[in-house]
Amino acid sequence: MAMVVKRPSIFIYTHEADPAVLKEVCAGIEEEGVFYDIAEMPDECMLKLAYKAARDSMLGSGIGIFGTATCLKMRGLEKGKNIESYLHPDKRQCRNVGANSARAIKKLPFKEEYGI
Amino acid sequence: MSYIAGIDIGNSTTEACVGEVTPDGKLTFLTSASCPTTGTKGTLENVHSVKNALKLAMARIGRETSDIDLIRLNEAAPVIGDTAMETLTETVITDSSMIGHNPSTPAGAGQAVGEVLLIERISRAVPGTDYILAASADHSYEEVAAVVNQYTEGEGALHIVGIILQADEAVLVENRIHTKVPIIDEVRRIDRLPDGVPAAIEVALPGQTIRMLSNPYGIATLLGLTAEETRTVTPIAKSLIGKRSAVVLKTPGGNVHENVLPAGEIYFHGDREITISLDEGAEKIMTAESEAGEIRDISGQPDTNVGNMLVRIRKGMGELDRTDQADIRITDILAVDTLAPVLISGALAGETCLEKAVGIAAMVKTQKLPMQEIAQRLGSELGTEVKVAGVEAVMASLGALTTPGTKLPLAILDMGGGSTDAAVVSEEGQVTLTHQAGAGELVSMLIETELGLGDRHIAEQIKKYPLAKVESLFHMRMENGQMTFVDESIDPRFFGRVVLLTENGLIRIEQEIPMEKIVQVRREAKRKVFVTNAFRALAKVAPDHNLRNISTVVLVGGSAEDFEIPEMLMEEFADYRIVCGRGNIRGSEGPRNAVATGLVLSYLGERS
Repeated sequence: MAMVVKRPSIFIYTHEADPAVLKEVCAGIEEEGVFYDIAEMPDECMLKLAYKAARDSMLGSGIGIFGTATCLKMRGLEKGKNIESYLHPDKRQCRNVGANSARAIKKLPFKEEYGI
Repeated sequence: MSYIAGIDIGNSTTEACVGEVTPDGKLTFLTSASCPTTGTKGTLENVHSVKNALKLAMARIGRETSDIDLIRLNEAAPVIGDTAMETLTETVITDSSMIGHNPSTPAGAGQAVGEVLLIERISRAVPGTDYILAASADHSYEEVAAVVNQYTEGEGALHIVGIILQADEAVLVENRIHTKVPIIDEVRRIDRLPDGVPAAIEVALPGQTIRMLSNPYGIATLLGLTAEETRTVTPIAKSLIGKRSAVVLKTPGGNVHENVLPAGEIYFHGDREITISLDEGAEKIMTAESEAGEIRDISGQPDTNVGNMLVRIRKGMGELDRTDQADIRITDILAVDTLAPVLISGALAGETCLEKAVGIAAMVKTQKLPMQEIAQRLGSELGTEVKVAGVEAVMASLGALTTPGTKLPLAILDMGGGSTDAAVVSEEGQVTLTHQAGAGELVSMLIETELGLGDRHIAEQIKKYPLAKVESLFHMRMENGQMTFVDESIDPRFFGRVVLLTENGLIRIEQEIPMEKIVQVRREAKRKVFVTNAFRALAKVAPDHNLRNISTVVLVGGSAEDFEIPEMLMEEFADYRIVCGRGNIRGSEGPRNAVATGLVLSYLGERS
């Protein structure tokens, strides 16, 4: 599937993504002020989705969501390595994945705990 | 043929050197090792580290400690260094009245003044008043945005001029409200915000820092303060300098003051009796010290911070030397000005304020350390002959002379953990020596306080290792600007962070302090301590107290191993045409092991 690239953005490739997970991930990115694009893909594995999203994103940062399983990857990372991944992330972890996908581009340290 | 070991017990490190002496008097150095000193220098606890160092050294040549025939212990100079820090000012907020911090993503820009309105109590609000809405993390960004939009539009609309959030959702809220206002987020203690008090908030433009709230008159303008009130908010303004966003509240009983703490006086008992107050600052204290001439003792005003500190140091030494208490004297101090970020009592978001402070290293002298006891204990535990031999400085000079390219006369500067010692050895072999307070440990303390680390261990690591910033998963920028690329991706835990490059990999610095700032503090701390002390120490031992009468200086001791201190000193000494460099003991050991090597060497002299 080909995406029309209009602006530099973080790619989120999904496969039947849990709407609540997707919403929080997007909120995490939005708070950091970075654009994102979402596309539904046939792959049924968060790692594959994340790998392809990072590969296709002009910014080199991609998130894969398969159901609730969520994975953050950056282009160039070796196979089997990712920034973070969760099978059943809670709200904070979803926000973090979103925020971290943006912080990866901004070259800011990753959030390890979504503190308030 | 026999194995001779030299042992140097230092304030922070114990070193061993083992040599083999043939019956015809030929000496071959075999091995050396070092390990951290256990216990205070000169106590029986040192025995552990001595045994450990010997074991390490012997293991390197596949031997046992029991193979050693003679252990020679340094007659350690009976001086011990200690450090302490004293803040001179303190900022107290009697009623919570400010929040100043750096959320990574505030929203909007500009300043606003209004009455604090908690979102739960929005129904009490009336049109015609300016409000600053405050919402805890219990309220989602959608809810906050919906409330704002609902109440600020149509008939009887409220005037909301700014928003304070507990959650990190400023941008999310901003993107959903119709009228843009400055929004500050990540305010942890939002529960302490009182409803109904006047408040001013400010969010800086991107890339800038706040202007109004970091200026006393700016606060006065926004909150309509009198001249007297403006005076009391000055410390608030000061502590908000450099922030990207801030909130200042005008609480009726709110009060902030800067106290000057009674720091106490230091008394120098020397050729002249001189009294100086600690808050005069480091420079004046050091001038007073040199004016006092040959110092017999230093004491502090009783029941003041400095007084208690000096008593504590003296007491620590008294436990080592159980002879007459009166024999223990503080003969030197090094005072250094510093700034310490101190948590402001009463602040809302854990704000700190840079307070003036003085760091002090003191040198305690006693008649003699109980080295003989250590020797006996060691002898009985190892079943080996142990001898206390030679004055430390003489042994250090002897060891330093094994550095290729040196000859007498020669000056050595022994920069250790607790003290900076200098010795000048004349052509005839006569030794003049001095011990100065202040060395590596004071540097660590300065780094710890100035960066507000609250952890001595990481401060010591910062002192020892160069820094880098991990800019991507595949490269980092070194503190000198150089880029290093790696084959295998760097652990994401280090991404975007400032790290230390150690021999065992990267160490992450938890605090978010810019790399440049850490470099600056580290270099400044080293300069304040070692450059000052090198000049002080060498001037004391130089013929006619003139540095120009010294032609060569060999730097030895643990701090001479540092990656930048020797270069700093070389630059400083260049003006005096002094050849100065890091020693290289036996042409192979670097600046360490001078005393231990000297102890083995001196065995030859004693034999013949």
